[in-house]
Amino acid sequence: MIRAGSRLWSRGAAARALATSAGRLGLTEAPVPSPHVVDAASQAEKPPLVTPSAPVLRDCCLAIPSHRTAVQAWVESLRHYEDRHVGLADLHPDVFAVMPRVDILHTVAVWQRNYKRISYAKVKTRAEVRGGGKKPWAQKGSGRARHGSIRSPLWRGGGIIHGPRGPTSYYYMLPMKVRVLGLKVALTTKLMQDNLHIVDGLDMPTCDPQYLADLARYRHWGQSVLIVDVNKMPENIMKATASLKTITLVPALGLNVHSILKHETLVLTLDTVAFLEEKLLWHDSRYTALHPFRLPYSDFP
Amino acid sequence: MDTHYTTRHLTRPPLPRSPPALSHRPARPPRHGRVATVGRGGGSGGRKATRCSPPLLPLQAGCVRQRERAAMAAASRGGGGGGPKALELLRALPRVSLVNLRPNPGAKKSEKRRGRGRHGGKKSGRGHKGQRQRGTRPRLGFEGGQTPFYLIIPKYGYNEGHSRRRQYHPLSLQKLQYLIDLGRVDPTQPIDLTQLTNARGVTIQPLKRDYGVQLVEEGADIFSAKVNIEVQMASELAIAAIEKNGGVITTGFYDPRSLEILCKPIPFFLRGQPIPKRMLPPEDLVRYYTDARNRGYLANPSNIPEARLELAKKYGYVLPDISKDELFRMLSTRKDPRQIFFGLAPGWVVNMSEKKILKPTDERLLRYYSS
Repeated sequence: MIRAGSRLWSRGAAARALATSAGRLGLTEAPVPSPHVVDAASQAEKPPLVTPSAPVLRDCCLAIPSHRTAVQAWVESLRHYEDRHVGLADLHPDVFAVMPRVDILHTVAVWQRNYKRISYAKVKTRAEVRGGGKKPWAQKGSGRARHGSIRSPLWRGGGIIHGPRGPTSYYYMLPMKVRVLGLKVALTTKLMQDNLHIVDGLDMPTCDPQYLADLARYRHWGQSVLIVDVNKMPENIMKATASLKTITLVPALGLNVHSILKHETLVLTLDTVAFLEEKLLWHDSRYTALHPFRLPYSDFP
Repeated sequence: MDTHYTTRHLTRPPLPRSPPALSHRPARPPRHGRVATVGRGGGSGGRKATRCSPPLLPLQAGCVRQRERAAMAAASRGGGGGGPKALELLRALPRVSLVNLRPNPGAKKSEKRRGRGRHGGKKSGRGHKGQRQRGTRPRLGFEGGQTPFYLIIPKYGYNEGHSRRRQYHPLSLQKLQYLIDLGRVDPTQPIDLTQLTNARGVTIQPLKRDYGVQLVEEGADIFSAKVNIEVQMASELAIAAIEKNGGVITTGFYDPRSLEILCKPIPFFLRGQPIPKRMLPPEDLVRYYTDARNRGYLANPSNIPEARLELAKKYGYVLPDISKDELFRMLSTRKDPRQIFFGLAPGWVVNMSEKKILKPTDERLLRYYSS
């Protein structure tokens, strides 16, 4: 992401944003892309039409270990469909650049599917099937095979021997740290595969769902988008996503590995990034729990 | 418009595009051997292979799958070079989604299913004839009628009442020094079992007959911290090591209920019960805790300086004068024999949500709690 960022900075399209912030005066004319740019991508990009103001730069609040550096991502905006480089965000490497453990994603996804499962299948054994108390015919003399009950498993209509017995629960809990690591790996995967987009806020100019769909298509966000926010969401985006099937709006507490992987793109706000970093990094350096987490701890985030 | 490829285009150099045949390949290419023999007679299966719909060259299809699988496994393992390499590898792989997930090879071992072989299963791991196969073996320990081992040996009370014996979790001086050095335990405050539990230095289980912590002399040569520590038992050398560094050590008794409250104060406060008074030790421990040599909390305070001098003479170190110390006030803090927490008296109720302490006002209660 750093390389991508540096490459884009070198292009004319992004370089004038730097010049603008240095000068602190907004350029009113539409800037022209430099002629030395050869990449096909930048030729397809048009320069933004809005007046560029100071870029939004986000630093990591929590300390980064000295042997690692922050990963970076562009900060975009939903206010205008062209606002793709509003600023640059530093993301904590221990949340957004962990080892890509696909097996942990599998473990957590399977757990999410199964821990809620209760299978209600139940079949009757030979004791529960109605009837079958009397010996159908005498042991000897009839010429037929010997039987003790008409509901034995050998008989048609008889009981089932090793069938499903009663509501079965498939509940199990993975260790908390495994679930936390699953979220970190999912976020890392989305970022590394260019499916993570950071947005400074969810303010939209209209509540038209078509605007959001067009914006997502213009920015090549993919077939399905998961938008996550911590704070109270503005009305515009709630109305827009209410009628859209492929774009989902979710509070940060509802973020989970299954939803992240199901949707092609993940869109986080800056507040959500801070929230997630705080919550997910706490588990890296905490003591083992003395009492359950629902009881008060002084430093529980 | 193929969004998958164009997305990649914008943020990184375009990847070498895979040939169109593979990008539109079906998930499972049909195998020409099986399709050809269906509905036809025997004979040449090879020539008939040309009749079915042209399958992909198995080499190509298998190659992509294997490459994907190997790459995913490599990404899980770390790419052979560490984190950054694995992440770089991940960027070149297809999008990770719910259909691409699989556990690491070897993680899921399928269980052994007995009796599912050809012809209705064979012996199913039961052996051949006899009691083994027929399941009529005698009980464990039976020796064919000879008086078995577990009856011929006479009983003796080695382990009699073992589950009722008091247990004291050992805490070495080395571990204590380690905790202080890492900053998990604060030596400028009196060190209590609560502090040790909060620092996760010891884990006490009052329900398993743990009665506290005993100080053990492992690490006495490297111990160099001045602390005011309260444990339940301490060996002589451990006491000497602490006092040599200018610290103060006390041994105190906690009955199981007080111990549970001491180790896990938060769940107790949330119960809303008044802090109980600590019970006095049982008969066999009274002698231990009234002895100044063990620095017992029930011992006569005037005997303690003599005991300190005696120990200094025995182990050959100069006893430092703690009254001249700046932390003297902290070092001389001790608990009342009926007190569980520093700063909280028995009978008080702690309200954590409103951050208030409620004290009893009734005479009888005050008399009971101060007895």
